[in-house]
Amino acid sequence: MIAIPFQNENMDRSLILSKLKVIVANYSHDKDALEYLTESTDFIKDLKINSANLVDVVLDVEEEFDIEIDNLSMERMLNVSAALEIITDKLKEK
Amino acid sequence: MIGNDIVDLRQAMLESNWRRKGYLDKLFSRTEQLWIEGTSKPTQMIWLLWSMKEAAYKIHSRRKNWRAFAPLKLICQTLEIKEELATGSIQCENITFFSQTILATDFIHTVVSEQYPMQAIKVNISTYNPGDCSYRSTDPATVSHHGRFLALAYLK
Repeated sequence: MIAIPFQNENMDRSLILSKLKVIVANYSHDKDALEYLTESTDFIKDLKINSANLVDVVLDVEEEFDIEIDNLSMERMLNVSAALEIITDKLKEK
Repeated sequence: MIGNDIVDLRQAMLESNWRRKGYLDKLFSRTEQLWIEGTSKPTQMIWLLWSMKEAAYKIHSRRKNWRAFAPLKLICQTLEIKEELATGSIQCENITFFSQTILATDFIHTVVSEQYPMQAIKVNISTYNPGDCSYRSTDPATVSHHGRFLALAYLK
């Protein structure tokens, strides 16, 4: 990802991404995929997160960003880009 | 089509804390939570219900080319437990699936089918070795692994 320092929105996105990376690191079973994490990284296929731990990722995200993730959003929170989009949208709603 | 799911209870204990605030609400319907509250073995009930949902998801996701983390769309409708065997049904988007679960000391293993009564299914549970993919040549109908265990199910 290329960070563009002049645009606040992009800075926010990289900050969100770094916080998200810390969260998923707790559940990832593939340390290489974690190291080379990009927006297209899939939580299950790439990071090998156990599906039972996806709920922990969702709960950790809720706590870290002080947002509530509804069930429809949770359904599609399967990769980094979807998670970033959901977090950004929920933060805007606050 | 069939789907299966195995839960290594030791691995689940190490990796998941279902007592965490908000945890059960994200995974289980009100009725399912009442079953969990009403049993003397809540941990077993949680992984039993979870494996039913996961095994049903395996069929539904393949049939509909659907990918989602939607545990609340897979609703356990009926459940009967007799010693180490549980039979039940799961509903997802108006389709009903039927389940059979083995409740062992170390693991919980569920097989789900679209048919009732269920077709003849052979189950093989062994030690999981991440480097060994030789089981693929045996052409299992469905595969699940978790922690120490590899579970294969075959249509006879």
